[in-house]
Order: sequence, then C-alpha cells, then structure tokens
Amino acid sequence: MRQLLNWFRRRDLERGLDRELQYHLERRIADLMREGVPEGEARRRAVLEIGGVTQVREEVRDVWLTRWLRDFLYDLRFSARGFLQSPSFTAIAVLSLALGIGATAAIYSLVDQVILHALPVREPERLALIDWEGDPVATAFGSWNLMSYPICRDLQQQDRFFEGVFCRAATLLNLSTGGDTEPAAAEIVSGTYFPVLGVGAALGRVIGIEDDRPPISSAVVVISYDFWKTRFGGDPDIIGRKLFVNRNPMTIVGVAAAGFRGIDVGEVPVLWIPTSASSLALPGFSDLLDRRKRWTQVLGRLRPGVSTAQAQAGVQPWFRAMLEEDTRRPGFPPVTAERRRRYFASILQVTPASQGHSPLRRQWSQPLWVLLAGTGVLLGLACLNVAGLFLARGSARVREISTRLALGASPSRIGRQLLADSVLLAVTGGLLGVGLAPLALQALIAFLPSDTVANALKAGIDSRLLGFGFLLSVCAGLLSGLAPALHAGRKSLIDSLRERGGGAFGGVRLRKIIVALQIAFSLILVIGAVLFVRSLTTLLDKGPGFNTTNLISFGLDPRRNGYSTPQASRLMHRIYDELRTSPAIAASSMLRNQLLIGGSWKNHMTVDAGERVATVRVVHMNAVTPGFFDLMGIRMVAGRDFNDRDASPIGENTDRVAIVNQAFVRRYLAGRNPLGARICSGAGPDAKPNIEIVGVVANFSYHDMREESEQAYFPIFDSHDSGSSFYVRARGTSEQVLQSIRAIVRKADPSLPITYFRTVNEQVSRSLNSERLLATISTAFGVFAVVLSLVGLYGVIAYVVTQRTRELGIRIALGATRGSTIWLVLRDAVAMIAAGAAIALPAAAALGRLVESQLFGVKASDPITLGEATLLLVSAALVAALIPAWRASSVNPTDALRLE
Amino acid sequence: MPSPRFPIPQGTLDMLILQIVSLAPAHGYAIAQRLEQISKSVVQVNQGSLYPALHRLEQKGWISAEWKESETGREAKFYSLTRAGRKQLAVEKDSWARLTSAVKLIFNEGQ
Repeated sequence: MRQLLNWFRRRDLERGLDRELQYHLERRIADLMREGVPEGEARRRAVLEIGGVTQVREEVRDVWLTRWLRDFLYDLRFSARGFLQSPSFTAIAVLSLALGIGATAAIYSLVDQVILHALPVREPERLALIDWEGDPVATAFGSWNLMSYPICRDLQQQDRFFEGVFCRAATLLNLSTGGDTEPAAAEIVSGTYFPVLGVGAALGRVIGIEDDRPPISSAVVVISYDFWKTRFGGDPDIIGRKLFVNRNPMTIVGVAAAGFRGIDVGEVPVLWIPTSASSLALPGFSDLLDRRKRWTQVLGRLRPGVSTAQAQAGVQPWFRAMLEEDTRRPGFPPVTAERRRRYFASILQVTPASQGHSPLRRQWSQPLWVLLAGTGVLLGLACLNVAGLFLARGSARVREISTRLALGASPSRIGRQLLADSVLLAVTGGLLGVGLAPLALQALIAFLPSDTVANALKAGIDSRLLGFGFLLSVCAGLLSGLAPALHAGRKSLIDSLRERGGGAFGGVRLRKIIVALQIAFSLILVIGAVLFVRSLTTLLDKGPGFNTTNLISFGLDPRRNGYSTPQASRLMHRIYDELRTSPAIAASSMLRNQLLIGGSWKNHMTVDAGERVATVRVVHMNAVTPGFFDLMGIRMVAGRDFNDRDASPIGENTDRVAIVNQAFVRRYLAGRNPLGARICSGAGPDAKPNIEIVGVVANFSYHDMREESEQAYFPIFDSHDSGSSFYVRARGTSEQVLQSIRAIVRKADPSLPITYFRTVNEQVSRSLNSERLLATISTAFGVFAVVLSLVGLYGVIAYVVTQRTRELGIRIALGATRGSTIWLVLRDAVAMIAAGAAIALPAAAALGRLVESQLFGVKASDPITLGEATLLLVSAALVAALIPAWRASSVNPTDALRLE
Repeated sequence: MPSPRFPIPQGTLDMLILQIVSLAPAHGYAIAQRLEQISKSVVQVNQGSLYPALHRLEQKGWISAEWKESETGREAKFYSLTRAGRKQLAVEKDSWARLTSAVKLIFNEGQ
C-alpha cells in the first residue's frame, strides 16, 4: 500500500535521494582532499566507494517500489499513452469489451437473483422442499408443489430428520390501512415459519407457534419492513395498530427483519398471516384441516448432517403408513382401482430448497440459462475481436518490439507489457460495461411479470456484480492479450526489420483463424436469433384465436371485501348489467377465470356418448355469460351459445349444459355427434355425467398462447355463481372505458378495488414475455455479433491487400483481369467464411437441442432456418470483403510498384 | 598486514545502523564514518548498501528522517530512531546475544 503511495511521490523521493547522495559524495571528496588526494582522484575514489551512483539509485528505488510493481505501473502508463494516441482502435476495443462484459454481468446478475441466490435466512443450505410425487387424490388451488395443512403438521413430528417444518401459501387479498382498499400480496404461514427460517423481528414480534391456536378474534399479522417504511413511514408506534384484510380487522404485532422478503423472489408479500386466520384471508375457505385439500408449500430445515436423500428415505415408512390410514379416514373419495394403485405408489420427495420456492424461477430458468449461454458466446466474440485488433496493432509495432528485444528486454518482459495492454483495455471496458449493466438489467426485469405484486429483483450495481465484472474483465484481457503476447515474443529482430517481402505471415494466419472463429460464433448467434424470432412470429401470427381489437379486460373480487358467495354473485351481475348502459362500452361479458394468465380451472372429466370414458388429460374449464363467444369473435362450429334459461339457478332448471371446443370433440367424440353427449367434472367411479353438450366452438387459447388443449365452458349461474373477470369491447379510448368502469363499480360499492385493468393485446403480449425476451435479446446479440465479425473480416482483408499491393500491381501490369484480381483477394475471405460456417453449423445443431423447449413451430435443426441464417451472414461477409477486394483490383500498377 | 575485511551480512547492517542512530541522530555519511571507526576497519561496509538499508529502515518505520543543517553548514538528511525502532533494536540485540552464545556453546562442545 505504502509502495503505491511512493509511486505518486516518486519525483520528490528521487530529488531527496539525489541531494542525499550529493551531500555524501561532497563530504567524502572533501575529506579525501584534506588527506591530500587531488580532486579528480578523490572524486573517482568516492564514486567507486559508494559503488556507483546509478546502482545505488536503482537499489533504493527497489526499496520504494518492488521491481515488478514498478514495471507494471510503467507498463500501464505506456499502454495508456499508446491507447490515447490511437483513439479509433481504443474505442472499438473498449466498446466491444464493454458490450460483452456488460451483457454477461447483467444476465448473470439476473440468473443469480432468480435462480442461484440463496435466501437471506439462517443457513439456507439446510432448507428443503417436501413434495408429494404421485397421485394425491385431492383437489388443489395455488401454484406448484402443493400439500395439505394437516400433512404439514404431521411432518413437524418427524424431528429425527427435520429440525423444523413450516408451510406457506401466497395469496392476494384486499388490504386497507384506514383509507382506500387495494389489492396486496400476502403469505399465509404456519407458526413455525419464522422460527425455522431464523428470521426475527425488527419491531415487535413475528408469528410464532402460539399463533397456530388462538381464536379468530385475535387475528394478528406481521408486516414487512419495506411496507412499514413506505406505507407507515417507519412509525415506531405501529405495534397494536389495526388494518383490514378483506374487511376483517387484524392487529399488527410486529415488523419482520429488514431484508427479508418472503421465500419467493417473484412475489414479495407485504404481510404475513397465520394459518389459523386463513379463512379470513381466503374468502370461503374452511378446509384448513381437510387432508384432501392441497394449497400450501411445505418446507423444512434438515437436521445438521442429514442429507435430503437420507431425510427422504427416512420419512418414507411413515408416509406409506399415512397413505394407508388416510384411505380409512372419512372424506376419502371413491376412486377407480387404477387411481388407487397410483395413489399407493406415491412417494414423498425431499429436495434442496436454499433458494426458496418460486414459480418465477420455474418459468424463467430455461430462458435465462439460454441467454447466459448467448452472452458467453458474445463475450468470446468480443475477446476475439480485441485479440484480432491487437494482432493488427502488433504488426504495426513490430519494429518497436524487436528493437526493445535487441536492447536487452526479455521476451517475458515484452509479453508482460502486451498483457498489461490488454488487461488495461479489458478493465476499462469492464468498468464501462458494469456501469451500463444496471440499465440493461432494468430493461430485462421489465420483461418479467410484475402485476400488483412486486418482485424482489434489483437492478443496481452490488459488490457481487462488480466482483464478477472485474474477474470477467481480467480473464477477457488475459485471453485477448495472450495470443498477441505469445506471438510477439517469438519475433526476431532481423525478420521484422526485413519488412519487405511476404510480410508477417505468422501474424496474419492467426488473425485469419480469429476471424473464422468470429464468423462461427456470429453464425451460432444469428441462427439462435432467427429461431427465436420465428417462434415469436409464429405465435403472434397464430394469435389467441379471438378478436383482440379494442378488447379490454378488468377484474373484481368482491368476496375479498367480505361478500358471501350469493351476495358477490348479485353484485357482479348488477355490475354486468350496468356495463351495458355505458356509452364507452359496445359489448361485455363476464367470466369466472381470466384468459391467458398461465393458469386455469382444470380437472379430469367423464364423457358419456354411449359409453363412459374418462378424459386422458385434464380439461380446462371456465364459466361464461351468454354472448361471450360472439363478443370474442369465436366461431360456433356446431350447436348454440348459452341463453338466459341456461343461466337460471339449478332449482328452476335441472338440465345443466356445457359448450366444448373442437379439440375436445376430436379427442373424445370423434365420429359421433357431440351435441347431446353428456359430461361431468371429475373422473371417479361415482361421477355422473349429466351435463349436456349444446354447442361446439372453434379452438382458441385459454391457458396460454401455445396450448392446444381440450376445453369445456359452462354458463355462469345467476344467483350463486360469479365471475371475477370482465371482457369488454370498447367504443372509446382505454381511459374513457376506465373512467366509466370506475364510476359503475364505485356506484355498486365504493370500497371495492379493481384488481386489474388492461387491454387484451397487452395480456397477449405479457403471456409471451419469455418468447419476446429471447427474441429481442438474441436479435440484439446477433446484430452485434455480425457487426463485430464483419469489422474483423474487413480489417484482415484490408491488411492483406496492403501487404500484397506490390504483388497485385505486378499481376495487373502483366494483364490480370479485374475479376481474377478480386477473386484472388476474395479467396481468403471465402476460406474464412467457409471455415466459420463449418464450425458453426454442427455446433448449432448440437446446441439446438438445449433450446428446443423454448421454440414454437420450428425445430432447432430446421434446415430453412439454418439456411436463412447462413445466407444472411455469408452475403454480409462477402460484401464486407468485397470493399477492399474492389479497391485492390483498382490499384494502379505504377503506383503500386513505386511504393517500394 | 591486517586480516582481510569480511563483508557484513544485510541483517546485521540494519542492526548496526539502528545502534548508531540510537546514540544520536546522524546523516548517511556520518553513519558510514562511524561504522568505519567502531569496527576499526575490521568490518567492511559496502557503502553502496548503506543507503538502500537506510531507506528500507525508514520505510519500515524504525527510523525517521529530517533535513537539518549539518556540521559543515550545508543541509543533510538526519536519521533518528523511532520508538518502534528502539523496540526492534532491543529485540535484535537480544537475538544476536542468544545466537552468539549458542555458537560459542557449539564451539566449546567441539573442543
């Protein structure tokens, strides 16, 4: 450290040393002269005694700053000066590295936050997810890995393997802190949640085991630290205040520790509610102790020294006994023998869960890894680019290097200087890249879904990003500098001074290899880009199957405002009727479930068209008002739409009806008249298919844009059923529609919030978020890659042309045609392009298998795509190479010969 | 003919410099002269290694330097012992004493 300071003080230090030595010599000379030695002799002897002033100076300098550090700092200064003198070279090199390093750092940060980063809790590596693998014979609502609450309590007794077990469920609820009601994200958690995770309270207390058993009237919540700061301004008197969850008053008993944001990186809760209050948070929910209702994720902390495999093996006997016991408990439905067999074949799975549980991770893992691989390729390309640029620059510095070698520098010293060059460049590029990475991160995070619920993703520069960026830069620098450094060390003075002649072929060959590799990398990226763009356009062209012009969707959830089911139904129907009077709305319809959100109401069904058949896969179901299909522009292929009679309550009209889609008919009713066949939900032996099919509609996308699923639709009943989503065809602007709807909802109930409001086009776009991300980023990468490679290709060809100017001049003078001259130069380019393609195509075919899951409508090894991409790149490359080739053919022979 | 002078190892030079400077602050030339005097020309101090040693000791914080007017009237760089240097000197003297007594023991054994 002190040594680095000495570097900056070196001028003063040198001056001081000079004075000191001067003094010493003068005194010695004076003394010698006093003894009678003549001045000249005295001076000589004094200098000899001290051992040579230069020698002493060097040794003292070594004390101030060790030799290698000093050399390194000199090298950096020399490199910096050299770079400032060639600004265009520096700019291209720094920018390509900044691009490569910045992109990699941004995507790595995202990968880390979404996929790799462990939860900020005590010893996250001991956390495990416990899941049921097999047929649970239960109904479920929620995301993934769902278990029942009683099984969580049972597992808490398995203390031989687990130090503690908790369960949690994410939910949306209506929250009011005294003013307006708005939707908010929350987690319903067991009393063991906070203790097992090891998260404490910043204020007050957290939910504990004592909260698992109290009466509902003392319902408590814990709010998150961020919510406490933003909504309550960090009020220290927050403990004991009340807030309203779905119109139910609850008391705040604590604020969770800062930095804890739940266990799902994609959904950050603002408060935590104990499971004992679950009926308040989930309207109409009273199945807390029902063993056949799955709605929570169960996680546990393994005992120290116990692995997930050991725990899994260890709980299996208890689990099997539980399976047996459950069949004897009341509430176990009758099932077919086949299903029973599957039930008993279930196992309990224990998997590591240090990153928590997140549907976001599940959805985005694959695309993010693909992107990271792509950025790796881009970074490699950037390094190759810089290496090529260095080689080009190196051949211009050949004389300088050879002279230094002749003056006594060791090849390793020269190599170190060249390495310092590339490291300096790389670190500068890296700093720039890391500085720009947050912007890129923000753009990327914008692709990830975030509705009312915020995700925990951050776009800032943190120390991990910085460290990663620095490491990457140094590696990039070493990589790009290695080839030129190794190459330079091998030059001999005579060879390089003899500048005429064939030129430095060794250097050019390396540059050609680099360009061929660049073309290979670019081709891989371009193929990727074409594949992803084609997938996206195929999906967009296919469309959702209904007319989305001026189509707007919004949602309400009155049950979260304390309405009972019949009350909610009346309210929703009233709003539905009011919508027809709005001038901004041309037509409207109500649905039980929103479309294209990646989730749906699904179940197996039993179909009876003469013989009973259970469906092979789940059928996606929904309930709609009459006129829905007409509103959406979906063709009715056979039969009729629902009418008001179908929507009357069960008591008046016991004949229930349904409409299915063409896929359903094709799979289960092929060759038969679908109208009149009967179906019902559920596929147990006691299922009674008594719902008559009265219509068949064309296929359209319900769950997501890719699916081609079987669907069944029921009418929404007037008195005890309600939707949560409205679809309206707007007559005015979105803003007018919003105002109109707000007015209608406020008139019906002023405290009822609108849970979401957006155009259906936007919803379609959202449901294609990952496809859009891949298409956009890969195209950007492809463009950058092509530009970088073409710059490299152009550079090499132009260089070769300048080297061969004399030879080409002679050929032209001897009668070579323009065409043959061009071909002579182009031959090199063609060789590089061909080599690049030869490397890239098999690599792309091999890598393609890894991205297959992200594609739609096109296979990874699709020959048309490969052909398109190759053609694109090859033509661009030939154009780039043609420019210097053309110039070569226009060379005036006399000028060329005179260049000597 | 006086016995040929043997060169002094680096570690010992550092210790001797600290000792000389501990008596009174001195500049480089004075230290060189003193070393000559004390050792009565038995020990040869390579003057070329004197200044690197002085700067090394200064860097380590055992001696500190100040430009003052010297006996000739010109300004010279005077070195003086710091508190850390005093401690170091004590440590070095101690280990030197132990080394020499150990060597003596070995020689006595041999006889």
